[in-house]
Amino acid sequence: MSESEIRAYAQGRGFHDQTLTRWLGWERTDRDALGELASGLKIGENHLRDMMDWLEDTASRDHAKISQILATKAISDLSTDPRLGRADKVKRIKEHLRRLRFPRLAQTEDEIRTRIQSLKLHPEIRVSVPPGLEGGRLHVEFTATSATELLTIAGKLRAAAETSLAPEIFELLAGTHREKERE
Amino acid sequence: MENFRPEELIVEHGSESSRIYANLRRTLPQVPVKFVDDIGSDANTHFAHRDPFGAAKKKLYLTRYKGDFFKKCPGSDGQVCCNYFVINFASNCPMDCSYCYLQEYLLDNASLKVFSNVDDLIDEADRTLQKHRGVFFRIGTGEITDSLALEPYTGMVRELIPYFAEQLNVLLELKTKSDCVDSILDLDPKGRVVVAWSMNPQPVIDLDERGTASFDDRLVAARRCQDAGYRLGFHFDPMIEYRGWEADYQTMLEQIFATIDWHRLSWLSLGVLRETPRLKRMMRERFPHSRLLTGEQVLCPDGKMRYFQPLRVEMYRKMVAWIRRAAPTVKIYLCMESRDVWQQVFGFAPACEKELGNQMAPVD
Ligand code: SF4
Repeated sequence: MSESEIRAYAQGRGFHDQTLTRWLGWERTDRDALGELASGLKIGENHLRDMMDWLEDTASRDHAKISQILATKAISDLSTDPRLGRADKVKRIKEHLRRLRFPRLAQTEDEIRTRIQSLKLHPEIRVSVPPGLEGGRLHVEFTATSATELLTIAGKLRAAAETSLAPEIFELLAGTHREKERE
Repeated sequence: MENFRPEELIVEHGSESSRIYANLRRTLPQVPVKFVDDIGSDANTHFAHRDPFGAAKKKLYLTRYKGDFFKKCPGSDGQVCCNYFVINFASNCPMDCSYCYLQEYLLDNASLKVFSNVDDLIDEADRTLQKHRGVFFRIGTGEITDSLALEPYTGMVRELIPYFAEQLNVLLELKTKSDCVDSILDLDPKGRVVVAWSMNPQPVIDLDERGTASFDDRLVAARRCQDAGYRLGFHFDPMIEYRGWEADYQTMLEQIFATIDWHRLSWLSLGVLRETPRLKRMMRERFPHSRLLTGEQVLCPDGKMRYFQPLRVEMYRKMVAWIRRAAPTVKIYLCMESRDVWQQVFGFAPACEKELGNQMAPVD
């Protein structure tokens, strides 16, 4: 993708000058690799900015080129997967880049997610963690239409809280799980 | 530590009769001096430079400060604050750390300035301290400058210590990454002055604390201050996470506790690397290869990026354990952290900032 094509793409989608200048400031191969991906998936500015942040940091940390990261099989598989729509492709590619950028955060999130799933809670009880795990709290959400239903849900929650999984989730949120592993 | 040699000393009329001016002329005789009516326009010349913030550190301005010297430390939204007050006798710093928040905070006013009206500063402090005799003030001088880096040239702190040493409701904290303590060692701080070093292992200093004193030199300076009767503090802030950080930080702590009598330490603080997204962009421009840019930081509710919570809590807990092994009862606090993090690190969070401030008051 040439410089003029990148300019046209950015202008067409109303990008801020700052974003365009940053993009054009990249090495040519990096700039073009992102251009191919962005134009193929019609990526908007906010998504692109996140991707640029993560790509720059990952490349710098791993002493790699951005174009090398974008040329990996994982990215090309996602961007050409016929089962995925455009928005899902963008979402999955972003998630992949985020995981590359934040490997330990992603791993901690995975470990928490696995344990939440293993709690096998009723579908009406939704358990989630805050973005980036900031705050260290587990969010538990449920609704009930009667006192009986509320008691049933509370009973299920109590049973879940009494498993060994619940403290493990809080240890993961508090960064203390590895202390246990070392003991 | 590198000697400071400004390219020029620019003196605003009205400051040439000050003791600070006399000190600067005596200690920097070879530096050209220019007198101006108002430093306003001259102080913006660095903007034309490719690295304006770096350029701003190369000239030294001497001017009278016209606002209030004495301020409450702003802290950070939603974080437990340590009830701290600040006095600014200078603005900006001759050293150049990659993570320095002044790059953002002083962006539009970056020139390196020293304020000549030290008597006004003391008068203002005196009015406040007399009026609130029942309040204990922990006062810092290193919020928008390093407290001691310019001391060999300005003699500013030497002017302040005799006054603060006499106040019963004060601890004056001089926070530094320098080793510039020679000029204060013969003064009697009477237990009212804490000299506090911001400490990092030498590999962090080498990469990201340009122009500062080495770890060994800071430690020797700290020991000399302790021997001269000063209280000491150490700020492990910003703590940097990288492959091998544990070994480096443990060794650093061992060296500190082998050199310093920890029973006479006033406090230790812990804080991880933090910056706003805007500061991060500035760091990226000025220090594109810094490894600080690639840590696993996330945006926190106060608008600052920090290592994600489980990671930084793990770092704090390790540091606290290593410190406690050597100094079981030393006061440790977290800088700019939420109650949740306090709770996870210590198992409690101070109820309010006053409580934390009171814990820092001297016990003798
Ligand atoms: S020593 Fe402090 S004030 Fe000076 S550049 Fe470093 S962080 Fe900034």
